Amino acid sequence: MRKWLFSLSFIAILAAGAFIFSTYSREPLYHRQSYIFGTLVDISIYGEPDARASLLTNQIFSDFQQLHDQLHAWKPVSSSQPSELGALNAAFAKGKQPVAISPQLAAMLTDATALSVKSQGMFNPAIGQLIGLWGFQRDEFSAVDINDDSIRKLVNAKPQMTDIVIRGNTAYSSNPSLKLDLGGYAKGYALDRAAEYLRNQGVKNALVNIGGNIIALGTHGDTPWRVGIQHPRKPAAIATLALDDGWAIGTSGDYQRYFVRNGKRYCHIIDPGTGYPVQHTQAVTVLIPPQANAGVLSDVASKPIFISSAENKAKAAAMLGVQYFMVIDQQSNIMLTDAMAKKLEWLDSDAKSKAHVKLVALP
Amino acid sequence: MQKAKPMLNSSPSPKLTFRHLLIGDWLTIIASALLIGYLFHTLWSHQHAAKVQIRLGNKIYATYSLNQQRTVHVHGPLGDAEIHIAQGKVRFARSPCHNQYCVHQGWLSHTGQVAICLPNQVSLELIGEKKPYDSLNY
Repeated sequence: MRKWLFSLSFIAILAAGAFIFSTYSREPLYHRQSYIFGTLVDISIYGEPDARASLLTNQIFSDFQQLHDQLHAWKPVSSSQPSELGALNAAFAKGKQPVAISPQLAAMLTDATALSVKSQGMFNPAIGQLIGLWGFQRDEFSAVDINDDSIRKLVNAKPQMTDIVIRGNTAYSSNPSLKLDLGGYAKGYALDRAAEYLRNQGVKNALVNIGGNIIALGTHGDTPWRVGIQHPRKPAAIATLALDDGWAIGTSGDYQRYFVRNGKRYCHIIDPGTGYPVQHTQAVTVLIPPQANAGVLSDVASKPIFISSAENKAKAAAMLGVQYFMVIDQQSNIMLTDAMAKKLEWLDSDAKSKAHVKLVALP
Repeated sequence: MQKAKPMLNSSPSPKLTFRHLLIGDWLTIIASALLIGYLFHTLWSHQHAAKVQIRLGNKIYATYSLNQQRTVHVHGPLGDAEIHIAQGKVRFARSPCHNQYCVHQGWLSHTGQVAICLPNQVSLELIGEKKPYDSLNY
């Protein structure tokens, strides 16, 4: 009889232990997703009560939605009201008459212009007309007829960010073919805003992902936030890395927005110099250390590297001060800096075996 | 303590069974324990996902075990998406979207893999015991 009592109490202690463990191991992680900016927005907040995390997330989502409406390159807010960017583009196309511009948009354009100059025009949000011509200013990307003459005309018109003249609360463009498309800037800008908002609200740990561009605050409990990098041709991650407090990561790929015509892939990343989609690169990932505009840089800095030819990619990275980058070219060869290689943990078996992986030095 | 009697009666008490374990019994127990450990390691703790979480818009639509044969229909803003679950893997089999990127993703089987249909706002994410990463950069 005593033996039975002993076994019973032993089982009871085990059960209690398991129960306590399961309650303690339920971690304070809040996670939510929404479709904004035509893509998936995904927010994780660690260490805040669910109710508070939910309110903060609502606030960020509604702020993003507002930004989306304000900055949309082709969709009006309603049938009678264009987006702020749409109205500005309409005015730019008409002539050199200055029109009113919000201080926020003016600041964005000034910043984008500085980055465009630094990248020697390879990051160029002024080529909205070319992007439209290639059919990427639509919700769905079907193959378009390629009109070489129209492309040549738009390239020769040379729309540049420096054609925009901002004076006080007004702006005009000295080039009528300039059309803004902030598709390579707005998501990064939104990341910085979300990070700033969360910090101001006293949130220590969060991970914000807008369509693949990610910024980290703090950690995921005892360990850093971990991020997987999507393989451009496989339905799996190629590698993972720890995204420490304040770091941001962004990828430009030919696999998210593209169409195939006569067996050839045409992606949404267009070389402003030629007017044609880039076809030599599958993906470029940049990792940005903590700084005021880490989100913006994670969005912007991958483009010049993507557009540049293989031998000029490191030079393009250096223009924007990028030290951590990885390139996957059209043959699925991987090129990356030593600094980036040290951050990565490969998941892909080919990459793990170091086949097709090459280190590249920064200039 | 009463001394145990030989096991002649047909229903021995638990006390007796413990005391009378022979070397073969112990070997069997140890072998079973090892086998369970091995099976746990290969079948469970690997990165193979256990479940698929289907999201529609901003909400979790459903979570299914991957360990079954099943077709799920999800009605998104564009129409009906057909998702196939087949013994450890899952895919978009049909989607009303134009580009069909989600269908071209093919089968997913490992924890952390995702397939997103942006136009129809339906996403699949594989979840398992241990997530290899918190979020995906793409």
